[in-house]
Amino acid sequence: MDDDIQVMRDQFLNQEFDEVTLEIEGTRFAEYAKACGELDQKFTDPNHEDFQAPPTFVATLVGRRNLPEDFPRLNGVGMDAGKAVEWLAPIRDNMTLTGKSHLHDIYTKTGRSGRMVFLVTRMELYSEDGTHVANADTRTVIRERPSG
Amino acid sequence: MADQIAKISEVEFGVELPAFDPDTSIENVRRFGKYVGWGGGRFTDHDAARKEGFPGAIIPGVMSQGFLGAMIHRWAPSAQIKVIDTIFRAPVLVDQPHTITGVVTNIEEDLKQVEIDITITNEANETRVQGTATIELPA
Repeated sequence: MDDDIQVMRDQFLNQEFDEVTLEIEGTRFAEYAKACGELDQKFTDPNHEDFQAPPTFVATLVGRRNLPEDFPRLNGVGMDAGKAVEWLAPIRDNMTLTGKSHLHDIYTKTGRSGRMVFLVTRMELYSEDGTHVANADTRTVIRERPSG
Repeated sequence: MADQIAKISEVEFGVELPAFDPDTSIENVRRFGKYVGWGGGRFTDHDAARKEGFPGAIIPGVMSQGFLGAMIHRWAPSAQIKVIDTIFRAPVLVDQPHTITGVVTNIEEDLKQVEIDITITNEANETRVQGTATIELPA
């Protein structure tokens, strides 16, 4: 582990930096389901008795910020490298969720063009009764510019 | 629909899921943008995307991930997706044909869970998105 990365891990991992309230609209996740090609009416039809969001829908929920306010500016261009979702319980129309974000992982890979820093931001989603319904991870990669 | 499975005993290691050709049309992406978000020019306007350096408009990553989920549900309507991890290797271009393929890589009968590797490729058979999913199926 590079020293600068270890310093960032020690300072920022698992420290909550954002909390948002998210109102879930069934029409929004039904349109998401249809555009993505879902056929099951439990995802597309608001009148279905088990109407719920497709598990991947939570990746569309965003907080106010993706990194802690005091996170150091890295020397490179950031890109969306991936999304991960962990489904824990159904998300339904008119639910109010609380999204709590923290940095879940920081690691590097070195390629031909130099070092790439990966930042994994996790939003934990909770329903009004405190049930943990999902985790949504965003993986950002920063390709560092050569110094000097 | 043919080639569907309903329970874990029907799943075989190494079996390929039925291929799925997602709707990458600009009309569908604009609809996604209108109702879900990600309606910016790089997703919904080829000229605007080219001005940003892309070959054309690109599918939002969250939509590509949704394609993978839909592909799993089309094969296994009773499946509960527990985890799905998606790596964006290269842009998925709007209005370009793409194919999603998947293969079963592990079966845990006791846990009623199946692991699947999924890939989105373009017409040149270049990998654009890779994913892995863990699903739970009825016994």
